[in-house]
Amino acid sequence: MSEAPDLSEDEALAAEHALGVLNARERAEAETRMAREPTFAADVEAWRARLAPMLESVEAVPAPAGLWPRIERLLPANESRAPANDNGAIMNRLRFWRNSAVGGFALAAASLAGVLVQVNQPPVVVERQIPVQPQGQLLSASVVSQEGSRVQPLFTASYDPDRKALIVTSLLPEGSDRDKVHELWLIAGQDNPKSLGLVESGKAKVIALPTEVMAKMAEGAALAVSVEPPGGSKNPDGPSGPVIGVGKLSKL
Amino acid sequence: MAAAATTTDILTPLMERIAAGEREALRQLYQATSAKLFGVCLRILSDREESEDVLQDVYVTIWRRADRFDGARASVMTWVSTIARNRAIDRLRARGPMAYAEQVDDLEIADGQDSAETLLSAADDRNRLHGCMSELDDRTQSVIRTAFFEGVTYEALAKRMDAPLGTVKSWIRRGLAKLKGCLQS
Repeated sequence: MSEAPDLSEDEALAAEHALGVLNARERAEAETRMAREPTFAADVEAWRARLAPMLESVEAVPAPAGLWPRIERLLPANESRAPANDNGAIMNRLRFWRNSAVGGFALAAASLAGVLVQVNQPPVVVERQIPVQPQGQLLSASVVSQEGSRVQPLFTASYDPDRKALIVTSLLPEGSDRDKVHELWLIAGQDNPKSLGLVESGKAKVIALPTEVMAKMAEGAALAVSVEPPGGSKNPDGPSGPVIGVGKLSKL
Repeated sequence: MAAAATTTDILTPLMERIAAGEREALRQLYQATSAKLFGVCLRILSDREESEDVLQDVYVTIWRRADRFDGARASVMTWVSTIARNRAIDRLRARGPMAYAEQVDDLEIADGQDSAETLLSAADDRNRLHGCMSELDDRTQSVIRTAFFEGVTYEALAKRMDAPLGTVKSWIRRGLAKLKGCLQS
């Protein structure tokens, strides 16, 4: 085998953590870095995936009968998944969109073509496909981040059918996250997330909505915000970056 | 890689349902993966009772963390196997420093099954990691495998091999760099 270039110090550390050779203190440091630095976390995950095939060579051994009921008794009821608050479920759906988008470039490219065609269609064509809903009602949403029981509002949005617009206010400090942008998404039914545009930190924005989108502004639909590179998500079908908050539209 | 992709296709929707809190989906995942994960725990711990405890803990962990599963980074099988391996290694480390004094060869599963090494050589040729591992020199292979299956720290490896810490570290780092290069080529 030809000599491979050395790993960068960061990647070597990620590989060592995945392999398991770090001592307790170094492991704790690596875990902290994973929590704070997505790039480092991705390096560790990539190394775990590289090494995991070693586990495939391990012989399967049937687990003892009786073990599943024991596990089932131990499963905690997860309040964050209760129907009263299904933001978790929305987050999961978004994550799956994101995953499938990252995973399948061909698919993403194909969808991109589809979306461009859709976007370029004159409104009249769209109206023929989707009957115009009667003028909707005023709706509002509070887009929040949630970690355990800690809920933090990040954006507020109100939908005004008369103005055919969504008024979005970022509650984040102005100028935060300079090298990133926040992208707003509409999650309606089983459709792919629909980008509603970018929102600057600390600013309010009026987003004019096409008829096709207005038809989907209904109670129960949700808004979500993701952190994206400048210019927004490269994936037309959903976020490419982490989703930081979600909120359902409800009547004012 | 076709087989891996098929498995992913079957298991990935389960992860979504587990993340949404559906117990039946976890039961199905358990049916599909528990023998494999129990094997992983046994390989690392060589103790049935401890392996059962760890396996229990593994599925509770999967239940809690299913929302963090990222299909773009790993297949479901890789993800759950990694959790099982990490949990088993945590348990191994909790046994105390004595565990590190044992030799790898003493920790083989003693139930008449093929050793992992035999299985490694017999493993299907689709698995490129095996091919790339075999391109490393014997000492590097052995030290990487020992670290992987036992979570032995650099310090403990150095003691075991009676070699300076820096030397062991450079064997492993060079080995990992070569592995990466080989896997990418």
